[in-house]
Amino acid sequence: MNEFVESKVRLRWPEELRSSYDVVIVGGGGHGLATAYYLATRHGITNVAVLERGYIGSGNSGRNTTVIRANYGVPEAVRFYQHSLELYQRLEDETGRWIMHKEKGLLWIAHTEMGLRAERARAALNQAYGSDTVFIGPEEIKAICPQIDLSGGGRYPVLGASYHPRGATARHDRVVWSLAEGAMRGGVEVHQRTRVIGLQVDADRILGVETDRGFIGAGTVLLALGGQVSTIAAMAGLRLPIRTHPLQAFVTNHYQQGLDAIVASTELLFYASQTARGEILIGAEIDRQPSYSYRSSYGFLSSCAGRALVLLPFLADLKVLRQWTGVCDMSPDYSPVMGPTDVQGLLVTTGWGTWGFKAIPAGGEAMAALIATGVVPSLIAPFGLDRFVNDRTLSDRGSAGTQ
Amino acid sequence: MSFTFDGRDISFAPGDSIAVALLRAGIHPTGGGCICLGGDCPHCLVRVDGVAYVRSCQTTAAAGMVVESQAGDPPLPESTVQAPVEVRTVFADLVIVGQGEAGRRAAADVSGEVLSFDAGRGEEVIGIYAGPMVIVRTPAGMVHARCQRVIVATGAAEEQPICPGSDLAGIFTQRAAEKLSSAGIDLGRTVQLTQHPQRFVGEGHVTGVILEDGSRLECDSVIVDLGLHPRDALARMGEGLEIETVGEAAMPGELPPPPLTGTVCPCSKVEVSDLDSVWDRGFQEMELVKRATLAGTGTCQGGVCLPHLRSYLAARQSQAPSAFTARPVTRQLTMSEAAAGFDLAPFRRTSLHQEHLRLGAIMDRFGGWWRPWRYPDVDAEYRAVRTAASLGDVGTLGKMLVAGPGAVELLERLYPCRVEDLKPGGVRYALLLDERGYVIDDGLICRLSDTRFFLTFTSGGASFAEMWVRDWAETFGLDVRILDRTMSLGAINVTGPRAKELMNRLGVSDLPGYLAHTQADVAGIPCRIIRLSFTGEVSFELHHPVDRSVELWRALEAAGSDIDLYPHGLDALFTLRLEKGHFIVGMDSEYDSTPRRLGLEWAARLDKADFVGKQALLRTNLIPLNKRLVGWEMDGPAPVEGSILIHGDAPVGQVTSSRFSPVLGKTVMLGWVRLEDDRFPEEVQVDGRVARHAAHPFYDPSGERARG
Repeated sequence: MNEFVESKVRLRWPEELRSSYDVVIVGGGGHGLATAYYLATRHGITNVAVLERGYIGSGNSGRNTTVIRANYGVPEAVRFYQHSLELYQRLEDETGRWIMHKEKGLLWIAHTEMGLRAERARAALNQAYGSDTVFIGPEEIKAICPQIDLSGGGRYPVLGASYHPRGATARHDRVVWSLAEGAMRGGVEVHQRTRVIGLQVDADRILGVETDRGFIGAGTVLLALGGQVSTIAAMAGLRLPIRTHPLQAFVTNHYQQGLDAIVASTELLFYASQTARGEILIGAEIDRQPSYSYRSSYGFLSSCAGRALVLLPFLADLKVLRQWTGVCDMSPDYSPVMGPTDVQGLLVTTGWGTWGFKAIPAGGEAMAALIATGVVPSLIAPFGLDRFVNDRTLSDRGSAGTQ
Repeated sequence: MSFTFDGRDISFAPGDSIAVALLRAGIHPTGGGCICLGGDCPHCLVRVDGVAYVRSCQTTAAAGMVVESQAGDPPLPESTVQAPVEVRTVFADLVIVGQGEAGRRAAADVSGEVLSFDAGRGEEVIGIYAGPMVIVRTPAGMVHARCQRVIVATGAAEEQPICPGSDLAGIFTQRAAEKLSSAGIDLGRTVQLTQHPQRFVGEGHVTGVILEDGSRLECDSVIVDLGLHPRDALARMGEGLEIETVGEAAMPGELPPPPLTGTVCPCSKVEVSDLDSVWDRGFQEMELVKRATLAGTGTCQGGVCLPHLRSYLAARQSQAPSAFTARPVTRQLTMSEAAAGFDLAPFRRTSLHQEHLRLGAIMDRFGGWWRPWRYPDVDAEYRAVRTAASLGDVGTLGKMLVAGPGAVELLERLYPCRVEDLKPGGVRYALLLDERGYVIDDGLICRLSDTRFFLTFTSGGASFAEMWVRDWAETFGLDVRILDRTMSLGAINVTGPRAKELMNRLGVSDLPGYLAHTQADVAGIPCRIIRLSFTGEVSFELHHPVDRSVELWRALEAAGSDIDLYPHGLDALFTLRLEKGHFIVGMDSEYDSTPRRLGLEWAARLDKADFVGKQALLRTNLIPLNKRLVGWEMDGPAPVEGSILIHGDAPVGQVTSSRFSPVLGKTVMLGWVRLEDDRFPEEVQVDGRVARHAAHPFYDPSGERARG
């Protein structure tokens, strides 16, 4: 047995679908399951079904690069992600399950005067809104991550960084399973292999969802799926401001621990960390062409490896093990979209782009509160769909780790 | 000929793989586990010359190699000097992967240009990508093969035994045993198995087998012939592409009996009991079992365990699950092999790059260009602009010629300012908005004639601007010609109170007035002279053929040698423009910066018939403003750009630009501030000090010096 075999979580699957639930959550990924978890554990709402077309966590929840951070570039986002980061810190205690949460510290490296300016501004904003990010120079960077080539291969000199000491990673699958188990224990039903093929709306009010296993009535429907969210929302006549792009990543074989920090460079557009199991996990920016394709490209592997080696040349001889692709729902302002829609009873949590994993607990907690109370929690009020109408967008491209 | 293994000399025969040479010397490369010699299992992984996870059965032994056993996870390298990896891109009609019997037969059947690769020759195909493109790792470097069609003839992998003792040395697959025997290696007393035994017996090395019926056979080696499973990872990876799978790789493969006990996944050390444990707790999908145990996620990517996992699940479900997704890479390559052939995008250099270096400039990258950040005498840069004359390299600006009968209409509809009333010879500053009414760029409109215009854009925005203008011209269906001149024209900004004098000295007597332009020779070089001011002093932008830049720069330098002329870089320019309150797109503006938020309402003429962004502005102008970019000043040194504006105890905004102004003797800033009921605090704290709102321009608000 390896030490990473999941040894505690117990998942209970219902056989039959009921004809209706108080709440139907479309998408058995992190956000959907976290919402179900908090509905059950905080609000006692358990007449809930989570519908998943594949297996739980089969979408982006099981494909992301597992970074937890709150070093965002707009106040509303810093507050939200900081809360999420703190919920993550407590999640193992709360669920009694090991999610392999590990605080590692995250370096965002700057290579130009403009880069320095951006990272200094990030540190200032983070501190003002309650997240711990400091600006540091090359010597401190070297102390935190001795493997970094400060000359940046001669072309991308390391001039400074914003350092986010609370930056962490956790095993994505285990987050999904812990939340699923907690929700199930509370009485929530999770139905795998159940595909939504329609949304039934009458006079601007949601009635329920059509699935490949029949119709399910629901007072509240939450769209918490990734990838196809705009096509599903369109079934209720909603047009979401979402464009879906592939995002790729790769891991190497496993090695002894040694890369302690999470290293990222917005100019070189990659980030790297070492998993608990010892793989070096490297990701980069989204593919430019919108697509639902999960096919990995060699162009990505090649350029991402090349860029990572500029800063981390000690990885040169590491063996690439596996590459994969997820699809990211990009909002126009690179911030998530959470809240009600024009269809009564139909809620969305989407626009999770490349930053969905780190938001799972806070996003789920807030959506559960919204479902339970009917009131949008102040933490997520700025992230509503109405911001695009009200000229209150939350542009945070510089924090997305993509471009 | 020999190499070393953990310090011990191992001699080898020509053609031996490392694994065969080790086995010849009586050494199991990893200490134990069934040897396949087919590249399918993790039982021969070693470190070769410092590189871990090398399949010794796929690597030909070479004299002097340093081979080490790889027990457990190898250490990360401390630092690595990257040896360049050769890359060849080849083109063919057909690529055949695998040169076993099926692969050879496929090759004989086709016409056209055919390339074939075979792992037996050290050519490991790591993946098939869209194209199709086949990526191959060869002893001579990487091969990127682009083709019309791929035939996958990768054959079949032999089933590995799953039972206690399967991690002993001395267990071989049938094919491995044949290879060893033809290499002249004696396996001693052997037992041949066609069914999974109850267990293997021995300490370190197998000494016997206990069969299913409980009988025990003594031996030195065991040869297992348990069945074949298609080696179909490449075929599955290539689904949807032009791929045909032939031979053993295409056969369905029979599932083995469900594993009962022992190690199922040797890479991740997953036991049957682990599968039972997660299965019993609800992990009842192939992917969930895989993810919960990590079975199939190690080096061999399911090469050993996949058939057994499928069988395990099949026994507990109504039907056998399909294989899990085949992802690249099927054979491993190092990161430097992956990176081979990839080039980082180059940064652009202006035609004056060498001049800046000659003058001792510190260069930095900005907007995709190398630009002088500072020259050696920083104070002289600023002083020259404010008190004498200075040169700035602005060749990075986006530059575009738009001409044709539709030019006026195009620009009227593209820009939020008026264009029609601009006279030939006139210059107008303009914002560029997107459909949301957000500022995406700014620059100048210079009218050359009724139907010809010269436009400038920001350095970082130039390539986007070209796409933008062309797209809209196409959308509007207008009769215009568009020529991007960003790379063909250099530009030098001659600025300072003595700029006119400098121009006169170079033979230009008829200088354009403020916000006007003219075509004239400067030091004999044809220039479009545009009079404007970003620095706050009299300024002439000299746009000229890029091959004359150095000549022009040197002529200007020589002409100003007696009047304290000194060039200025970006750092000084940022101070100079901030004193004038000019914002910089992307530095001071944000994604959602409307003209109103930037305090530039005058730049968007809502009384115009239409322009890109007008509808959005008409709508959003009715919404109360929530933030504005305004000017601030404070005593003492400039705080860090990005500092927070604090009012009371609460953050109310953020500084975007902040410089100490030598001429004003105080710090001037631009910063975003939140508005409530259209008001914002006049006094805030920045960096623990008081900052006051101040109208900008901070310097020469009436603009007399610029017009001078």
